[in-house]
Amino acid sequence: MLFSSLKDSDFFDRQQELTGLFKRVLQADVAQARSAVLSGQRGIGKTELLRQLFGRLFWEQDRVAPFLYTVNPALLSVIAFSRNFLFQFLCQRLAFPEKEQALLSRDGISIEGLFALAEERKAVWAKDLLGHFAQCACDPVAALRIALAAPHRSAMATGMPVAVLIDDFHRIKGLHDDGAPDPRLAFLFEDQMAHGKTPHIVTGNMAELQELPVVNKLERIPVLPLGPEGTSSMIRSLLNSYEAEGSVPPLLLRHLGGNPFYLECVVTRACAKNNPDDGAFWKAYIRELMDGPLALSWLSVLKIYFPDLVLRRTALEITHRIFHASEALSCRRIAETFALTVQEAHDIAQALYLAGLIRAEFGVLRAVEDRVLREIIDALYLRELLAKTAHESEEHFLSTVVPQKGRLIRFDMTLPMTREAELIAAQGLEQIGKNLDLDRDAVGQLQIAVIEACINAIEHSRGMGDSVYVSVSVDDDHMEVSVESAGKEYIVQETGEPVRDQENAKTTGRGWGIKLMKRFVDEVRFEKTIIGTKIILIKKIERSADIHKEDTANRE
Amino acid sequence: MSNFSLSSKSAQDIAIMTPRGYINDIGAERLESTSEQFLGDGLKKLVVNFSDVQYINTIGLSIFLSMVQKTMEYKSLLCFTNMKKDHREIFEMAGLIKHVKVFKDEKDAFAYLNGRN
Repeated sequence: MLFSSLKDSDFFDRQQELTGLFKRVLQADVAQARSAVLSGQRGIGKTELLRQLFGRLFWEQDRVAPFLYTVNPALLSVIAFSRNFLFQFLCQRLAFPEKEQALLSRDGISIEGLFALAEERKAVWAKDLLGHFAQCACDPVAALRIALAAPHRSAMATGMPVAVLIDDFHRIKGLHDDGAPDPRLAFLFEDQMAHGKTPHIVTGNMAELQELPVVNKLERIPVLPLGPEGTSSMIRSLLNSYEAEGSVPPLLLRHLGGNPFYLECVVTRACAKNNPDDGAFWKAYIRELMDGPLALSWLSVLKIYFPDLVLRRTALEITHRIFHASEALSCRRIAETFALTVQEAHDIAQALYLAGLIRAEFGVLRAVEDRVLREIIDALYLRELLAKTAHESEEHFLSTVVPQKGRLIRFDMTLPMTREAELIAAQGLEQIGKNLDLDRDAVGQLQIAVIEACINAIEHSRGMGDSVYVSVSVDDDHMEVSVESAGKEYIVQETGEPVRDQENAKTTGRGWGIKLMKRFVDEVRFEKTIIGTKIILIKKIERSADIHKEDTANRE
Repeated sequence: MSNFSLSSKSAQDIAIMTPRGYINDIGAERLESTSEQFLGDGLKKLVVNFSDVQYINTIGLSIFLSMVQKTMEYKSLLCFTNMKKDHREIFEMAGLIKHVKVFKDEKDAFAYLNGRN
């Protein structure tokens, strides 16, 4: 698949990187463009970024021809790789001038078919390349040289530079001529990557890429986790696509670390329930750790690097140990603990490192900084090594992963759109505060903010709904009030705050509402929901009893 | 029925207004018109006692702003007393507090106003 299946609007928080890469490769048209490697953890969106770049280069300009290639592990014999690489390049290059999408997916095209195509397009350079390639049938390495040099040859012949985008580039180290991988073959990319008219942008498994000398010479462009805005946009979009509403608990968001793949797995699973609440999101996460696409993706990595079942078990045990060790471990220590030779421990550690499961750059073994991966390893360990049932594992994660709070008490109110209905919410809040013995000052400040939130909700849903929905949740140390109402969208995407309509904006003092809410509570959030907009107010609270205790202590 | 009521009185050259309950648009407009009446009658010293004010919203706050402006036009003195901390913060946020004198209670306000011509 060359083009991304994502809409532009669903490609969150990456426009800056995409534009940077786009401009970078377009440099090849006017000057020399430099090759680079996209680095980032698994699931962060490197492949998606390459696809988006290819799509943009293919459709939005005609100065630099894009070529996107994914290294196929089934085509690593030099001859198969060369043929596949060259044929795909020629199809994509010939498709580019007239944007012929159908030509991009001509996978099974024969050399004769390609000749005919080149003839039809009067692409003499392409016919020459195919002719030279055909003559090298008995010399696979020569054929590989021709294939890898094809983008540069076409650039020289046509004057049009080529941006070579290669995904899963780490697999190149598996290229072989006689069955045994020959890492030296990867060096043949070096010259091609150095040409200013054929900038290469490659990506793949970072641990393996770092071990490829040809990649180490390239500039590294990090693909970072999504920021808070990108994360929130992505979640909103996923929820919308399932016509669900809800918000991922902040602690779980921190767990997922802005990794788009992790986010998608968890939110998608949680959306099986119409309007997932906090508990549903945590349960979805736990199920993902145990048997969802999230867990399966890491399990498949383990299977690739440890095809032997017994070795895989040992590798899992070692990984678990490394993730739970309070200090970095050496191969010698691993060997002693697991009754292995140092060489066996070293081989396993090396494979774990290349799989991206641990850090081991200088022979010291540490866990990677990925909380989700750690919990997937725990889930596998419980199931495969401790033979725990799914129910037992779920119970384990419910008690260790989900924050253990005191009782969460929730009150829901539906207010009619009548005059001074906001006072019902404010006075309800006061009563809740009294019943739960909450700090009166904190509740008083929250009341002020709630009044403003209700007024805002009523103003913006005028004529579009007849109720305002107020929900109050109280746990050990926070009080959260959400105020939801129907109405046209009134959130400014950039700021996440409501737009002020012109009529209100003319009235002096209007617009103070948000300022006031922010002044009196600890956090104010605005969310688009299916029915309209929700304002969420969060206030830290203390129990009055605690305050009294503290007062007494101070007096003493 | 409104959640707002207002009592007012004048003693010598000082007008005292005591709003009760919820100061929203209705409450603030009543305060504004009452203060205009006092100003029209020639009283140049106004006191608003907040002791029984429960809530103030920003619509009410915006009307307070015009009340403060009117008082300044009449070159009068406007004093607030018995303000809760949160209410004071609301006025501070809107930048109104610098145009009024704030006192702990009516007694302090009277002491100040009686010393002024």
